[in-house]
Amino acid sequence: MKNGSNKATKSIPTYCYQCVAGPDLLTVKVENDVATAVEPNFAAAEIHPAAGTVCVKAYGLVQKTYNPRRILTPMKRTNPRKGRDEDPGFVPVSWDEALELVAEKLNEIQATGLLDKSGYPRVAASFGGAGTPTAYMGTLPAFLASWGPIDMSFGSGQGVKCYHSEHLYGELWHRAFTVCSDTPLTEYIVSFGANVEASAGVCGVWRHAEARERGVKRVQIEPHLSVTGGCSAEWVPIRPKTDPAFLHAMLNVILHENPRDALDLPFLRIRTASPYLVGPNSFYLRDPDSHKPLMWDQRSGRAVPFDTADADPALEGEFTVTGIEIGADNETWEHEAAKCMTAFSKLVEHEKQYTPEWAAEICDVPAETIRRIANEFLEHAQVGATVEIEGRELPFRPVAVVLGKTVSNGWGGYDCAWARTLLACLVGGLDVPGGTLGTTVRLNRPAKDRHRSVRPDPDGFLAYPWNPTDSEGWLSRPTVRHGYRTLVPLSANSPWSQALGPTHLAWMQQQEPFPHWPEPTLPDVWFVYRTNPAISFWDTDKVSEAMAKFPFVVAFAYTLDETNYMADVLLPEATDLESLQLIRIGGTKYIEYFWDYQGFALRQPVVKARGEARDFTWIATELARRTGLLEKYNKAINRGATSIPLQGESYDYSLDVSEAHPAETIWDAICRAASAELSDGGENGGLDWYREHGFKVKPFSRLKWYLYPAIVDNDLRFEMPYQERLYRIGHQLRNRLHEQGINWWDKQLTEYEPLPIWHDLPAMIKQAIAKNLEGADEDYPFWLLTARSMQYSWGSNVGVQEMKEVADNVKGHKGILINSSKATELGIRDGDLIEVRSALRATRGPAVLQQGIRPDTVLMIGQFDHWATPFAKDFNVPSMNALVPMLMDLTDSTGSSADIVPVAVAPVGGKR
Amino acid sequence: MTRYVMVVDLRRCVGCQTCTVACRHTNGTPPGVQWRSVLDVESGEYPDVRRTFVPVGCQHCAKPPCMYVCPTTATRQRDDGIVTINYDYCIGCGYCIVACPYQARYKVTKQRYAYGSEPMENEALREDPGRIGVATKCTYCFDRIDAGRSQGLIPGVDPEATPSCVSSCIAAALHFGDIEDAESNVSGLLRENEHFRMHEELGAEPGSYYLWDKRQ
Repeated sequence: MKNGSNKATKSIPTYCYQCVAGPDLLTVKVENDVATAVEPNFAAAEIHPAAGTVCVKAYGLVQKTYNPRRILTPMKRTNPRKGRDEDPGFVPVSWDEALELVAEKLNEIQATGLLDKSGYPRVAASFGGAGTPTAYMGTLPAFLASWGPIDMSFGSGQGVKCYHSEHLYGELWHRAFTVCSDTPLTEYIVSFGANVEASAGVCGVWRHAEARERGVKRVQIEPHLSVTGGCSAEWVPIRPKTDPAFLHAMLNVILHENPRDALDLPFLRIRTASPYLVGPNSFYLRDPDSHKPLMWDQRSGRAVPFDTADADPALEGEFTVTGIEIGADNETWEHEAAKCMTAFSKLVEHEKQYTPEWAAEICDVPAETIRRIANEFLEHAQVGATVEIEGRELPFRPVAVVLGKTVSNGWGGYDCAWARTLLACLVGGLDVPGGTLGTTVRLNRPAKDRHRSVRPDPDGFLAYPWNPTDSEGWLSRPTVRHGYRTLVPLSANSPWSQALGPTHLAWMQQQEPFPHWPEPTLPDVWFVYRTNPAISFWDTDKVSEAMAKFPFVVAFAYTLDETNYMADVLLPEATDLESLQLIRIGGTKYIEYFWDYQGFALRQPVVKARGEARDFTWIATELARRTGLLEKYNKAINRGATSIPLQGESYDYSLDVSEAHPAETIWDAICRAASAELSDGGENGGLDWYREHGFKVKPFSRLKWYLYPAIVDNDLRFEMPYQERLYRIGHQLRNRLHEQGINWWDKQLTEYEPLPIWHDLPAMIKQAIAKNLEGADEDYPFWLLTARSMQYSWGSNVGVQEMKEVADNVKGHKGILINSSKATELGIRDGDLIEVRSALRATRGPAVLQQGIRPDTVLMIGQFDHWATPFAKDFNVPSMNALVPMLMDLTDSTGSSADIVPVAVAPVGGKR
Repeated sequence: MTRYVMVVDLRRCVGCQTCTVACRHTNGTPPGVQWRSVLDVESGEYPDVRRTFVPVGCQHCAKPPCMYVCPTTATRQRDDGIVTINYDYCIGCGYCIVACPYQARYKVTKQRYAYGSEPMENEALREDPGRIGVATKCTYCFDRIDAGRSQGLIPGVDPEATPSCVSSCIAAALHFGDIEDAESNVSGLLRENEHFRMHEELGAEPGSYYLWDKRQ
């Protein structure tokens, strides 16, 4: 080894936010101004839940910096034709020329109007990685805010690759954009394919390891034995996409095979809508004067409004009651003596049909296994137990149910999210210590504090920012191409809502317009950053064809890839280790990211940017300056578009709005505001302070890990089990859409049921394929699934050699997983080239034989199949994305679809 | 006396390969050379299948077969049990590679780079011709241990004095310390948990102990 003693060696703190389960803190060793090694930030060991460590992905950042295939100068396209078979003919240009090309287009738009003839924004943008690109794009959000309307509906994976139903229904029911177990305290976890050892980041991995050591039991229910399954106490190989049946059967066992007092009855009576009375038309029976939902008071022997003091509500039973029902569009029914069941009794009646024996056949899991797991869940719940958290006594319910991606997506996602939340409620374990927790809000506001987002609804629930469906409020004309505000009331209208809309509809319309919907115009300018929808969405050939028609595409580019292949201008931004940004850390955020501290961390240039790559903040400032938006841009920064307002009650670090400031000046002001926010104005550590120390935190109350205290303090109820609001909203949405002549969303509207009804999802998927494409059931006897890879998920790091090398140590990264016995039956040996064919198209790759996968399932990890990205294009590993069609028939009411497709598998000769 | 050993908690490892790549960063190993890695091992038949992640590397055996076959005394054992290779003495005969029951040794005969035939800046800076054509393997990061001890730090406790695979582990599955010290972290772990050593029957007295729960 070369002698390192005479080198100038530094260790520089920064952060990694390549995946949604971060950010985490690291240091980079720099020798003679060259980054050589990533290490954990041991200085953060005391304040970080995983002792300051970072996961495997962070170690790829050194190679990412020095990758010789990087784009290091701005480029412009010289071939006006676009497509996979058209060489873009990119040639280097100066930054000035590149930015002028972009500014000229933007200025043209400003002159002609920001909206086009369909009413859609002329500027579109797509960012990847579950919001993580914002941790790398400097002040671009301020530029976007200063611009005005931007269409973000061209999805790069949202809706088909995220935890979609969990996000939307989670926010509705317990301010839970993401949901997890309270891993530090829980004792029993039922996991339906939640691959936390691959996707929950270092906080999740560390905490689950601790939990295993202290004896937690996690039952992993999934068709293939994932990394997480391997680390679980038990693997239950369920038939793909039958999870709702399993969950219904768990409810059946708990409600019909156990004594009622095994449940947390006080919680159900006081903290849920279980006692609310349901009228003959399936809406709550309400007090005629106050319109408040009624419940049966056992003390007075009459129906009383839900918030009546000292009432003793009946949890179960049928009662004869006078009151009104209010349905869709204020349709009202008056009842003199209506027989009304409680919502809980409705639930009990509804779940009676879903026995373990019924589910066993559907799920291909023995009834006794389902029954045992349901009973174990109940036994471990410790109903009645309490724990003291920071001086406050709270329920202690160390059981949780968690859901994976394909379980949460598409049809069945509603059922699963509902059943998961309900199971927690039945034992009083929703958002309490040990139980099932939400960890962040993105649709409700403020995004940085779940508790402050708690506001009361007139019916006693958490208020929700629905997109209106009443005649006056409904937005009949979509504002962006996928029409989230028009079609998906649950998606709300926060800055995150576009990403939670039905993003594949934007791509689908490019192939075939929807009746009675605005013409699907092309965006005049499309910005793309840290995403590659030509690889990461479905029916990737069609998506690529669509984007090839976009007239002007601006890609912030790291290397050439399959999406920026269609670009007109490539702008090389300084990457992770080369640029400057301050972000929030700690508190509670995605997945299992909840800390005992909160604060800020700096990402800083540990080495000089390579080539002509420029800091994103410089690029954003230049775009603002060249489009005449500098003042608005600076005002947006001052307002807090970078997440921290520069002016507070006791401090003011606002920027002069008339000047174009250097990136260092901007981030120094932001650092000072952050320090002031953390110290109530007492400190003003600026950029230099953060450069040296890397991060600054203050304690974060553990009481804020749980929503329950806020529910109690506001005297609210979790909206379980009955979904009256959803039912009404679904009816109203139907009315509005039909008034416009729109019938193509009818199937989605059927999902608005007050109690989810089992649909035969495997059959539904096969029928949809048969209806829209070619082939009969028997032509496609396998299910094709995917699984996350910790080494790659969200990372935009597929071109990093080191990741490829170490990922290949984990089974499945080199080919297609197939059950060993089934493969033998088909004459397939390990490593043989096989063809996997869906009704859409076929792909090929080497077979990887494994016992830990169902015989009716094959699986392709991650998202590969690159053809332009340097290094990755030589992987020879296929992706399911090319094989999965985008179909309205498979789209659920939230606008999502599941990552699953029926396929045929056959051995072939030759190379891929 | 001191004998440094590795304790691997199989109940905690998730096979993420962070240790694999952390070792690469600390030791500047070339592509394809993994002094530490994690095996993804499947056992049983569907549907009764287990998947176990097993970190492996040089076991720093008490009776190292690699050392006994080395014709040049390049492979030696320190007083603290760490098995070392003196690259200046190694003639690259490969006997040790064959003799090692744990397949822990590597030999590359020309420089390898991540992307083609030219080194990146970071690779060029760390390129070491002395490692070409000789046997290499995990060193237990003895340079970190020695530097740390000289500053009064404790290997296995203070991350700066601990092998980088251990201090980078995101599941705290890897532990390092002095097995001769009854009060050390590793002694405590071995006292309190069931454990085994790999291929113990071969008599090399390997220094990697694997914690597990027989019931599972």
